[in-house]
Parts: sequence; structure tokens; C-alpha cells
Amino acid sequence: MSSLTSTAWKNRKSPLIFALLVVCAAAAQDTPLRVPSNAVAGAPATVGTSGSGAATFYLVGPAVSLKRDVDLGKEVALSSKELQSAGRYTAVLCSSSCSSENFFVSPGKPVDLAFVVHPSRVPVGENAAISGVALTLDEYRNLVLAPSSVQFQWSTKGAPAMSHSAQARDGIAWFRTSSGKSAGPLQISAALSNDVNTRRVVQEVASIPCNLRIQGQRTPKGVLVETEPVRDCSGNPVPDGTVVTFTAKDSGGTSFVDAPVKQDVARAIILAKGSVVISAASGVAMGNELRIGGKE
Amino acid sequence: MCARVASYPQKLKLHLSVLIVLSWCMIATPWRHAFAADASPRVTLTVSQATPRQVEPLTQNAVLRDYKFAWANLAQALESNSAGAINGLFVGDASAQLVAQVNGQKKNGLSSRYENQTHKLEAVFYSPEGDILELHDTAEYDFEILDGGKSIHSEHAIVHYVVLMTPGADRWVVRQLQAVPRF
Amino acid sequence: MKRALPIVIVIVAVTAVLIFLGLTSVGRATGTIGIATGGALTGFSTDTSTPEKAMNNFLLDVQKRDWDRAFASAERASDAITEQSFIQDWVGSNGGLRSFSTLERYDTRPLHASDSDAQMRVRLHWATPVGPVEDVRDFHLAHRGDSWKVIWDETPPPNVPAQIVPVNYLRWDLVTGNSSDEWGSHNVDAPRVRIVSMNAVDSAEGAVVMGEVVNEDTIPAFVNVNATLLDGSGGIIDDESSFDKILHVLLPKQVSPYRVDFPHLSLSKIKNVRMDVKATLVPASSDPVIGVMNQKIDTDAQGHPVLHGELFNESGQTVNIPHVIASFYDSNGKVVWVSDGYVEKALLPQSTEAFAVEIPQSLAGKVQNFHVVVNQYSLEKS
Repeated sequence: MSSLTSTAWKNRKSPLIFALLVVCAAAAQDTPLRVPSNAVAGAPATVGTSGSGAATFYLVGPAVSLKRDVDLGKEVALSSKELQSAGRYTAVLCSSSCSSENFFVSPGKPVDLAFVVHPSRVPVGENAAISGVALTLDEYRNLVLAPSSVQFQWSTKGAPAMSHSAQARDGIAWFRTSSGKSAGPLQISAALSNDVNTRRVVQEVASIPCNLRIQGQRTPKGVLVETEPVRDCSGNPVPDGTVVTFTAKDSGGTSFVDAPVKQDVARAIILAKGSVVISAASGVAMGNELRIGGKE
Repeated sequence: MCARVASYPQKLKLHLSVLIVLSWCMIATPWRHAFAADASPRVTLTVSQATPRQVEPLTQNAVLRDYKFAWANLAQALESNSAGAINGLFVGDASAQLVAQVNGQKKNGLSSRYENQTHKLEAVFYSPEGDILELHDTAEYDFEILDGGKSIHSEHAIVHYVVLMTPGADRWVVRQLQAVPRF
Repeated sequence: MKRALPIVIVIVAVTAVLIFLGLTSVGRATGTIGIATGGALTGFSTDTSTPEKAMNNFLLDVQKRDWDRAFASAERASDAITEQSFIQDWVGSNGGLRSFSTLERYDTRPLHASDSDAQMRVRLHWATPVGPVEDVRDFHLAHRGDSWKVIWDETPPPNVPAQIVPVNYLRWDLVTGNSSDEWGSHNVDAPRVRIVSMNAVDSAEGAVVMGEVVNEDTIPAFVNVNATLLDGSGGIIDDESSFDKILHVLLPKQVSPYRVDFPHLSLSKIKNVRMDVKATLVPASSDPVIGVMNQKIDTDAQGHPVLHGELFNESGQTVNIPHVIASFYDSNGKVVWVSDGYVEKALLPQSTEAFAVEIPQSLAGKVQNFHVVVNQYSLEKS
């Protein structure tokens, strides 16, 4: 309304425009909208109107776009569902002319957490390898921007729990930590002060194989070679399926077998007659060399 | 005969004028939209305040491109009342809210316009893994609400948005778009 | 319109007949429908008075799948050879690559001939689902009376004795969550895969980018390597993928070579190469285990350097189409070439099959070491 009068004043030298703007400003005074000043997401609210007669009420905002016939002078009720999403709303009231007001709906209290943790699998003993981000949300999944305290906690079986408290700024709190020494599931949780708790699991897996040792013996089928239990340098058995490459050199040429570890041990049969030298490798880890004498 | 000779240039001028006016009418309406589309959102991004991770130059380019694209499509969706334009650029709650708004508009015969958009983005949080980016958007645009083609509200708005973007398969997508009174 | 209708009817009728004939004649190894037999066939005659003519007639019978005639015209080297084994040698079995192949054409060349015997070298060109495959075979012919006969001496493969082979290798399945989008609750990272080496060279066919890639993760990965060639201003010249010149399913800690071909391009135009490896979660099995035995670098009958050896199937599952990918290293351990080749015969459980892959003549001298991996396609694999 004040913008209309100021515009009219600026255009006072043009009588027609001036007159029109004055009329508009006056007309606007007849149907004011009184929008809520402290609306909260999910809470019902009302918009006040003045004047008399019929009018059309519009509300446009996040997730809502409604049109309703109303009586001037009465309050327009807005349900909790219509105001679930936090954000900027525009209320418009039209009878002979239209007037509008904007208002904000703020998020409710934080009652939920969106919790994203990376990675889902991590080798043991890696520095700053695990990170998590928690976002504070209200009941209707609006981002709660007011500062709140988030407690992160993580633990593995047989080890004491570690924790870290972070202040959520602009709805986000985060943490970072290193992976432990033992393979196994790492339980990580993020909690708000009101007992809202969300859990995630990171699988801590064995690191690269270490100290690969092999043994072998001649059988009717060929040379059966197998590893001792394959472990990483911290003693964690490598996961089943990890490939160990056996290489054999004899008078017939060179042979390779990519054999997967099964229950900690990888096995393969090498078709070799005569003396043979066998070695093994997995990733960058090399094993011992095995010499097996010849037999036809 | 003289009268016929004298009227010929006048007729020509009349024909030319009609032709020009008709051509303009034919192309004006789609061109209006074309102008609106060509006047695509202007987006700028500053990343100096991003923490704990620095926003990489490639990521900055991608975010600028995809955010601009998202808002252009948001405007198109709300003007044409077609939710298809939103797909792939908005996910999660942001997508659900926009779809609900489009459906509400369609049901009530409303539409809205966002024109002459300018967005000043500031990155305030970039996660250690680079999978969550929070931005503050100071957006300026001409906002208009129409009821069956009749304008019922128009304003030049400056709105503050808190934006959450996450990387999708081949682009950054908007997961949360929440207007706030101030940052 | 009146004239067009009869033509349309005729076309439809002929098409229907051909479809019917095509459907009913698939799989039969008895004659080729639509092609005349006997003396009417172009290039075919009953004259076997020279080794070349006898060889040509024999191969024509094979090409048109007239097995009775082809087998009858050959001389068995031993009684163990039956017509069934003869047919199987040509058409393949157990879902091997040969089962899906057609002999497109052949080239014959006499190696030596005397009055009583001759040797012919035949280059067989097969059309297969994985592209054209060339096979070079030497045939021995003998002069019998007035005619020459092909001596068929391919011994049938030994029967694998019936046995129980436990299949208890590890298997990974992929479980996808439901569609509800609780952000962060269904987070399973893609496998960590890394390119460990890259080498770009010029070859006779164009530029080649090759190297090795390793699965550093603890779960299987489906891997593909892409290479983009850039010019001096950073503009993209070309972008290609490794296609089948890579072991696509990599088990944890497994290393695979890769090769990306850029036909008709020279490295002189290229200022930079951008590599990209894509890895996705995929169900997988660590069975079958295939050993690569007794490999040697040698020259084949045509004087080309080859790496040959034997594949040994250590498991109980038939490998229908084995695919061998070999990487060759120089004295510094750098990958100087990657070759691949399909084995046409299926690899039966507890059995071996020979393979050979070529090495470019220009690089054979540089090769100090090599490593072979085996890709495999099994029809029954779930």
C-alpha cells in the first residue's frame, strides 16, 4: 500500500496516473490481509481479512497451491497439511481488486535425522577414512536451521565406543574418523538430545594381504598348491573371494592360476611334470617360492 | 486511372503493414516464451566459505550449470503446470513439493511465473566425501501468480533459499530448496 | 492398385514360405537348403584327381554341411574316429563358439606334394557371434588309386569320466533395497577399482591405449575402461571403450589387462589421453577356476610369433566360450601389448583346451614376460 502512495507521489505531475494510483491505494486499504507472523510447519494458522462481501482467497507456496471462496471480514483457516512445508508463502485475496502478502513458515523442532555415512566398506587402519553427515529435520522433513547438538557414536565388537559431539549449523553436523584395526561391522549412530537416533553400519574389511606363504605337493592330477591362511598385516583374514595368483615355471612353460580364497585359504592344481618352481601373489603382496621336484 | 495509380503504393504499404503485424502476432507469443527461455536464470557461485572440503573447479562448473538448469525447469513447470520438467533435476522432498504445487495449480486453474531470475549462490558446506553440498541462494526474480491467465499477484522478489544438492548419475540434483527469511 | 495387389500377395506368400523353411531347417546338419548339390554347384566337381581338387571338394561339402558326403570322401586315420566325432569337430559341441559359427570361405595353399601324398594349408574364415575368426589348419592328403583323399586324423577328445565335483566356491548376490528413499540408508559404495598402468602406442591399425586395472575392493566389480584422446587445445578427438579386451568381472584383488583401440588414428595428433574406469556392483561367482598352463612364446606354422598354452578347467562347470586375454611386458615391467583370442571349443570340467594368441612381429623381441587371464561365458550361468 505504501508503495502505491509513493508511486502516486512520484507521478504527481501526471494527473491521470496520479489519480489512478490514489484510487488504487485507497481501494487497497479496504481489503487488508493479516498473515501469520510466526507460522510453524504442520501447525494450523489463520489469515485475517477485513471488509464485507465475497472474495477469492489464494495460497501459493511450497507443496501447496489453493483457491477458495471466502467471506470478507472472517478469518481464513489454513490446515496443518497446507502449511507442512517450511518456506515462503504468498496469500492473495481478490474481490474487486487483489491484494497479497507474503509470509514465512518456519520448520518445527528437530525430530529426525538424515544420516549419510561413507564409505560402506573400508580397509582397516586407514586414517580419516570414515565420515558422516547428519541433517536435522522436523516432522515434515523440513531442514531445521536452528543450531542443535548432534552426538555421533561408533563402536566395533569388543572395542570401547568412541563419540564426538557436533553443533549442527544450517541443519548440518558432520564427523570424520579413522578405521579401526579389526575387521568387522562398525556401528555408527547419530543422535539428537531428545533421543532421536539413527544407525548406520560400515564394514571394516581386511587390508591388503601380507606374508603370503604357500605349500604344495604332487598328486595324480598335478601339483596341488595352497596358501597358508591369508591375512593382512594386522592379522585379519582377507575376505573370501580375494584372488591369489599362483605362477608355476617348469620345462613345459609358464602356468598361471587365479584362485579365490575360500575359508582363508586359496588352492589350485597346476598341471606340471618335472621340476617346477611355484610362487604366489595377491595384489601387491608376494609369497615365498616353492620348488617341487620332478616325477613322471 | 490516375486514382488507381495513386492508390497502388498506398495499397502496397497497407499490405506490408498487415503482413508485418500478422508476422509479429504469429511469432510474438512463442517468441515471448523464447525470450523468456533465452533470458535463462543468471547464476553466480562463490565457494570460499565452503567447509570442510574445497569445492573443485569441475564441481563448481557442474553445480552452476545444473542449478541454472533446475531453476529454468522449475519456472517452466510452474508456468506450464507440467511436472515432467522437474524430473531428473529435483529429487526427494524438493521434487515432492514441486510436484504437489504443480498439481495444486492444475487443479485450481492457477499458474505462476518466475522471470528475470538472478541467483547468487554461496557454498557453505561441502561434505568430506563430496556428496552433499549446501548453498545459500539469494534469488531475485519477478514473481507472478495467474488465475486462468489473469494476473492476481506480481512482485519483484528477493528471496533467500537454503539449498541442498547431491550428485546424481550425471548431474547435481536439488534435494532441498527451502526459503528462509534470512541466512 | 489392381496391379499392385497380386505382387503384394506373391511377396507375402514367398516370405511366409521362406520363414517356414528357415525355422524348420535350423540345426539340421544334413545338406543346405536352397543350394544345388552335386555337379550343379559352382566350383564343385566330382574330380578328385589332384590334391587341390580333392581338398576343394571336401571343404565345399563341409561348407554346405553335407557331412555324409564329406566324411565318405575322407579317409579315417583310425577306427576310433566316427562320423559323429567328425561332425562335432566341425560344428562344435557343448555350446562352444564353433556351435554358433559358419564357415564363410576358405583359402587353400599347397605346402608340398609328391606322387603319393600331399600337404595343404587351409585358412578357414569363420563368421562367429564375436566377429570373424580365422583358423589355419594343415591337411594331409593321400593318393588312393585315381583319386586323392583327405586323411582325417583328428582324434576325438577324451571322455571326461563321470564324477561328482563339489561346487562350493564363493558367490555374491546383489540385494537392492525397496523403493522408499530414506536418504543414506541404502548406501553401498561402488567397488574401488584403479587403473595401475597405461601405455599408448601406434600400431598398424591405429592408436592403441593399453594397461592394467586392479579391483582394490573386497567385492566383485563389473569394470569397463574408457579412453579419450585429446588434442593440444583440450578438444576431444575420439572416445572409445575397451569392449571385450578386458576381464569385465574382476574378483577382489584381481588384475586384468585392458586395451582400447582407436582405428585409423595416429598418436602424433594426440597431446593427452584421459582415462576413465567405471565399476559397478554385480552378482558374481568365483567359479569356475581356470588355470592357464604350459605357456610358451613360439612361432606358429605361418611364422607369426604367438603365445600358446592350455586352459585347464579346475571346476565342475562347462565353460562354453573361453576368451583369453594376454598382457605382454618388457624388461621394465611395462605393458607393451595386449592380445586376445576366443577358444572355439567349449572347456569341459577337469579338461584342457589349447589356445594361442598372436604377438605383433615388431614387439615380439621386446617381450620379457607375460600374464594371461581368462574371460568365460557359460550358457547355464545364472
